[in-house]
Amino acid sequence: MSFDYEGPDELRAPVTAALNRVVDPELAMSITDIGLVYGVKVRDQGAAVRMTMTSAACPVADLIVDDLHHELGRVFGGGAPIDVQLCWEPPWTSDMMSERARRFMGG
Amino acid sequence: MDLGHDERARPALHGRLNAAPLAALALPLLAAAVAGGLWRAGAAPPAWQSAGLAHGPLMLSAVFGSVIALERAVALKRWWGFAAPLASALGGAALLAGWPAAGAALGVLAAVVLLAVHAALWRQQPAAHTALLVVAGALGLAAQAVFAAGGDALKLWFLFPVLTVAAERLELTRLARRPRWAAPLLFALVGALVLGAVASTALYGLALMALAAWLLVFDIARRTVRAPGLPRYIALGLLAGHAWLAVGGLAWLGIAVGCPGRDLALHAVGIGFLLGMVMAHVPVILPALTGLRLGFTGWWYGPPLLLHASLLWRFSGALHDAALGHAAALLAFVFVVATHRRRR
Repeated sequence: MSFDYEGPDELRAPVTAALNRVVDPELAMSITDIGLVYGVKVRDQGAAVRMTMTSAACPVADLIVDDLHHELGRVFGGGAPIDVQLCWEPPWTSDMMSERARRFMGG
Repeated sequence: MDLGHDERARPALHGRLNAAPLAALALPLLAAAVAGGLWRAGAAPPAWQSAGLAHGPLMLSAVFGSVIALERAVALKRWWGFAAPLASALGGAALLAGWPAAGAALGVLAAVVLLAVHAALWRQQPAAHTALLVVAGALGLAAQAVFAAGGDALKLWFLFPVLTVAAERLELTRLARRPRWAAPLLFALVGALVLGAVASTALYGLALMALAAWLLVFDIARRTVRAPGLPRYIALGLLAGHAWLAVGGLAWLGIAVGCPGRDLALHAVGIGFLLGMVMAHVPVILPALTGLRLGFTGWWYGPPLLLHASLLWRFSGALHDAALGHAAALLAFVFVVATHRRRR
């Protein structure tokens, strides 16, 4: 469950905790455990997040992005600019899952 | 850190394209389809005959078709994708109004747009599960065309929602360790299903049973059922649905060797597998489509339990009472949804 982080060291832990609170509702795993977050850049009193989804065909992406905005808003403040970009390169693979997630899935 | 080197990357919309009005269209169509089912079971007044005659196309095209198309349109986020659920819903309304030609034409239009949506999703993410969505969309279009031409499209038509579900489950199997041959095996089963739908009822039934076995073996529901709360609810719904798919396959096999069982074959898949799957996913999908937040409690288990129990009852021969049980399960489900809204 690692992702690129660029920003003040003191915000790394609260940002990571915020991402850990965003959970895929069907899988019972956080987006960091699944390995969906590729990078976070803290800038302009807000954050830019680069992430993916396991499927381009799943409408639940909006729900997850909503939750991400909500949780990062708790870190940076309600009106802070939070920019989330969904990307498909590199493609998500199960190698991106955390050890805990792999164990849960029987890997 | 480079945040933008993927040319297919896009800003995630905060505040979704609100699909609530289109999602709301599915509700009266579902009510009409259920009313039609009650009429067919002899549990509704003669005035509901038009819904009864259109029951199958209403469920497959107007209800499952518009819900599936709406999910994909929301995922793709292209305005033209919403033409598919809209055409599906309008087609259902036309069938109810007694305009079968218009209903069938709108169904074909919906299937063409949905196939284009699935192709666009495949281009965005070329993978086995998006390829299977394209196959499901193509079969849906073929079934709509056969129906429009006045042919019996039921076996082909069922493959559209069944394989759409299979594609979604195939995608999630990537989270667990699965053998290399699992995905190729699934595509071989898809080939057998298509061949069976057009040439051999026995092969169709056997392939449905094999697909159910594939799902029971590889679906991550076997893992997520261990997590409490909503994931367990969804997983149990999925596993029950897979079991009903096997029953449906067995019934088709029975038909092939001369046993009666068409009602079992159609409704084990239509109610047990597909409607059960919808009930399992509504707590996740409805918020994704409409922004409506839903809380989870044990009350969610009530309607699916009633649905599955009434389906067992149906196959004991109590068609009239069981059909009322299905309708009661759906009404109870609407009540549970309405009473579980929350802010966040």
